[in-house]
Amino acid sequence: MSRTDEHAEIREQLSLLIAGALDADAEARIARHVATCADCSAELAGWQRIGGGLRRLPTPQPSQALFERTRARVIAQMEAEGERRQNRLTLILVVFFSWAVTILAWPVFRFATGGFFSLLDMRFHQVWLLFGMFSALTWLAGGSAAILLSARRQNERRLAL
Amino acid sequence: MTGTIASLWEGRVEIRAAISQLRRGDLDALSSLIARYQNRLYRYLLRLVRQSAEAEDLFQQTWLRVAEKIRSYDPARNFDAWLFTLARNLAFDHLRRIRPESLNEPADDDRGTEEKISRLPSGVTSPFDQVLASERANRLGAALENLPMIYREVLSLRFEEEMKIEEIAVVLGAPLSTVKSRLRRSLEQLRNILETEQGAGAWQ
Repeated sequence: MSRTDEHAEIREQLSLLIAGALDADAEARIARHVATCADCSAELAGWQRIGGGLRRLPTPQPSQALFERTRARVIAQMEAEGERRQNRLTLILVVFFSWAVTILAWPVFRFATGGFFSLLDMRFHQVWLLFGMFSALTWLAGGSAAILLSARRQNERRLAL
Repeated sequence: MTGTIASLWEGRVEIRAAISQLRRGDLDALSSLIARYQNRLYRYLLRLVRQSAEAEDLFQQTWLRVAEKIRSYDPARNFDAWLFTLARNLAFDHLRRIRPESLNEPADDDRGTEEKISRLPSGVTSPFDQVLASERANRLGAALENLPMIYREVLSLRFEEEMKIEEIAVVLGAPLSTVKSRLRRSLEQLRNILETEQGAGAWQ
């Protein structure tokens, strides 16, 4: 490689050198060249001033009020999120409890009206059908109401943003 | 040297502790994290959008996003890169809405190379040898402001935030080669601005 080509290649890499973006081999090669080349050494010094200047640029300071506002907004959001999580958990527990009550209601009713042996009578009975229809209707109405309320609340939240 | 490393290590441990406390909903940990990162984050956002009111708004949005996503944050990841990525995404969304032209990638032509060749020193004396430090900082800051947004960003992350190239690649969501070429072009353009647009003696 001619000396001119080497100059051009080295200078191409000087900006990356001061940005710390070269590997150790490339850095060593540049260091060897710069040690014997006044022009490239001067060029490197210019780049180093720019790099040093960038590192020492004054840092704009955010105001204390911004810190307080940010903190307050984030805390409000975290509390709201915590409340939503709590509500979700409560809803899950309520649903679970309701299902448990629904499922247990029929055997309890049979036990109360016909005694223990009536529980062993698994024959189809018209009352079973009525019970199933009543449960399905109740859950359908409750589920629809929950979906409608949730959609309305989401809409309100979206408009509030 | 040992003291610096120890202090860096201590800082990282504190950040990890604050993050795990925040994941458990500890509000003091939130204050600690905001206080620790506020200067860097605000400076980065200001470099991106250049307007202090917009930077302040994005600053708040970033921390709201942190609170929202902290449970899904993987502690094995670098928190700095994660935080700055959130901030960057919000800033880009904001700029896309109000100043989409500012996101355009500058044309990669050969002008920089030509200018660089014509700028090569002809003698021993460098044009940068006699600059006063404070004056240089002002001029440098002004020149930085004139760079396209993606160049300001990469310079800020490397020189002000002192992120490693790999960390910058994570924040930018770009390969290392792109980060390096963007760094090189941004420095070239910065130097050209210093030498040409601000007059011959601007960076001397």
